[in-house]
Amino acid sequence: MILDNIMAAFGEILTVQTLILMLVGVAGGLIAGAIPGFTIAMAVVLTLPFTFGMPASQGLATMVSVLVGGLSGGLMAGILTGIPGTPSSVATTFDGFPMARGGKPGLALGIGVWSSFCGGIISACLLVTLAPQLARIGLEFNPWDYFMLVMFALTITASLAGRSLVKGLIAGLVGLLVRTVGEDEAVGMARFDFGTDVLLQGFDFIAVLIGLFAFSQLLRDVRDPVVARKSLTERSAVQIRIEHRAAIREVMKRWTIVIRSALIGVFTGILPGAGGSIANILAYDQAKKASKHPDKFGTGIPDGIIAPESSNNAVEGGALIVLMALGIPGDVTAAVMLGALLIHDVIPSPTFISEEPVLAYSIFIAFFLATFIMLGLQSFMLRVFVLVTKVRMYVLASIILGFCGIGVFAINNIEFDVWTLLWFGILGFVMRHFGFPLAPMILGVVLGNIAELNLSRAMAISTDLTPFFTRPWALFFLLMALFSAAFPLFQAHRGKRLWTLFYLPTACFALSAPLFMMGGVTRPILAAALAALGAFVLWRRARGGWLLSTSEDQAVLRES
Amino acid sequence: MERLNRDVYIAVVLLVLCGVLFWATFDIRQPDYGVLMPSAWPRTILVALTILSLIYLIQSLRRGRDGAPAEEIEGIAGIEARQPGLIGWILYWRNPLWCFALFLAYLITLPVFGMLIGGVLFVFVLQGVLGGWALRRLAYHAAVALLTVGGMWSVFTYGLDVMLPAGMLFDPFR
Repeated sequence: MILDNIMAAFGEILTVQTLILMLVGVAGGLIAGAIPGFTIAMAVVLTLPFTFGMPASQGLATMVSVLVGGLSGGLMAGILTGIPGTPSSVATTFDGFPMARGGKPGLALGIGVWSSFCGGIISACLLVTLAPQLARIGLEFNPWDYFMLVMFALTITASLAGRSLVKGLIAGLVGLLVRTVGEDEAVGMARFDFGTDVLLQGFDFIAVLIGLFAFSQLLRDVRDPVVARKSLTERSAVQIRIEHRAAIREVMKRWTIVIRSALIGVFTGILPGAGGSIANILAYDQAKKASKHPDKFGTGIPDGIIAPESSNNAVEGGALIVLMALGIPGDVTAAVMLGALLIHDVIPSPTFISEEPVLAYSIFIAFFLATFIMLGLQSFMLRVFVLVTKVRMYVLASIILGFCGIGVFAINNIEFDVWTLLWFGILGFVMRHFGFPLAPMILGVVLGNIAELNLSRAMAISTDLTPFFTRPWALFFLLMALFSAAFPLFQAHRGKRLWTLFYLPTACFALSAPLFMMGGVTRPILAAALAALGAFVLWRRARGGWLLSTSEDQAVLRES
Repeated sequence: MERLNRDVYIAVVLLVLCGVLFWATFDIRQPDYGVLMPSAWPRTILVALTILSLIYLIQSLRRGRDGAPAEEIEGIAGIEARQPGLIGWILYWRNPLWCFALFLAYLITLPVFGMLIGGVLFVFVLQGVLGGWALRRLAYHAAVALLTVGGMWSVFTYGLDVMLPAGMLFDPFR
């Protein structure tokens, strides 16, 4: 059965038209990822209007290709110019740029490319194996659990996305509120239409996403007139040949770093709210800690390129696992992918893989293929990158703003959508300026309907509210939401306040309770292990006399 | 007034918005069927938003007055500094303001120019405003606007069969 689905999916993807589109997608992603100030999410969101007229598998394969290309594109700018193309490749510059400046740019690029490839493949393997398993767990979810899962996704995104949890939560709630405009999904009553027909249909969420993310980002990019008139990167990137053989040798010698970093990437991707920008720093930090010569990090060593590049390419595999198994996007890029699925009338849920196996496997295969295409295209795109760096920011911004108008109109052939783009572009720009993170708002917009529908279903089954707190999965997500909300506070006071010593043990004990309630064999064992971990941490801290960190430790903590 | 900072103003705006929208929830028709009333979910969100806005207001009030605006500090680092007053504010934000204004003009004139002519004009004028009106650049800007908008218009019109607004000017030639 699985083999049949895989063969059918291959049939969908291996057409000349789809392969050409994937090739163009990867190439576009590589360039978009390489341009500083142009994020991967922006590239993916701008690809969306082109995919409306395509069959679902073709459209999604194109978008996956842009995503994979974008994840790898950042390394070109980071290594050759020292300016990371995307936040996902910040750590790559720490060692990539010194190595390139030290006379080995071809090797540095080769290591980056092959690490990205390995990270992508490991992530794709985990996507294929883990997504169906997670979907099986997802089948246990009832409306109460789903509602709480959405709340958890919003809370953790709010706590990780910005400096202020309150601002993050406000952004998330504004996103939920935006989605309530228009007819409600359950009974079709008009809400917040203020007597106008245009508001009755609500805001098209793709127009909202493009406005919030792409439009507002472009306005920020051209804010400074001097910077806007400069070329994309002032440092010129000379033409270089990628040293593939030497790079493969270096990467293979350090296979443990590759695997560890890829796993960090996948795990970060699974966690809602965390993304490539966190994963690459985390993987770099772990590689440094595990190294026998941590002092050499930052001087241009292969380990410092392998770790971030393996992890940032693995992130999207993790985000896609949760998206395809549970229908919950892990980050902004996955939220756009969710939008793409919805446009093609595919509603991701735990039953998605079993009900739409060919489409699901098409996405898996597209992820694999795009990783190989990326490997083949890097050398060629390096030359294009050199040309693109000569373009001035204001030219690029003007073109993309023009494209936004056409692309957004094409969604529903309604002029109101272009107005939506403008208003949400302004809103996104103002929100960024005042320090409100956009990721929770985007997730709020995307998940608003899912939350309301599940709340409505739960209320239809029973008006009793206690299942939201007594059902094991609902309680699990509620506790996760509470502890993730408290996380920024914990981070700010770690080592300075006594209560922070109890944060981890309390989280372990609390989360073990719903796991115990789930029954079976594995989950109570997991619960016992979690409780034991909490008890062990508590015991160690008691033995240490409840000592807080010294000022030196705090400095290290702050640094980390 | 001593304790006011820009976050206080934002919190107040948010609270006013919550009030207005909560009032608007009373206009939502409540049907006789269904368990979850159509106004219940928006009201839940608005209550949570009001509570968070109040927390935000209290946090902002406790923080006290703003220091030097971030934009003015930027000037120290060698980037363009913001001059005080309304003129300074407009000068500092002139590029995004131009983008908004031109996009607004593009939208208002869409029924007249259509997406092709309007789009080409928008991209051309925006490049001029952001990049300067030097003569040798005009030809380059015009070529960029024509090729990119024309290319995208062709992809959507002929490749994806999307009917983009033709506009009064372009329509007679179709």
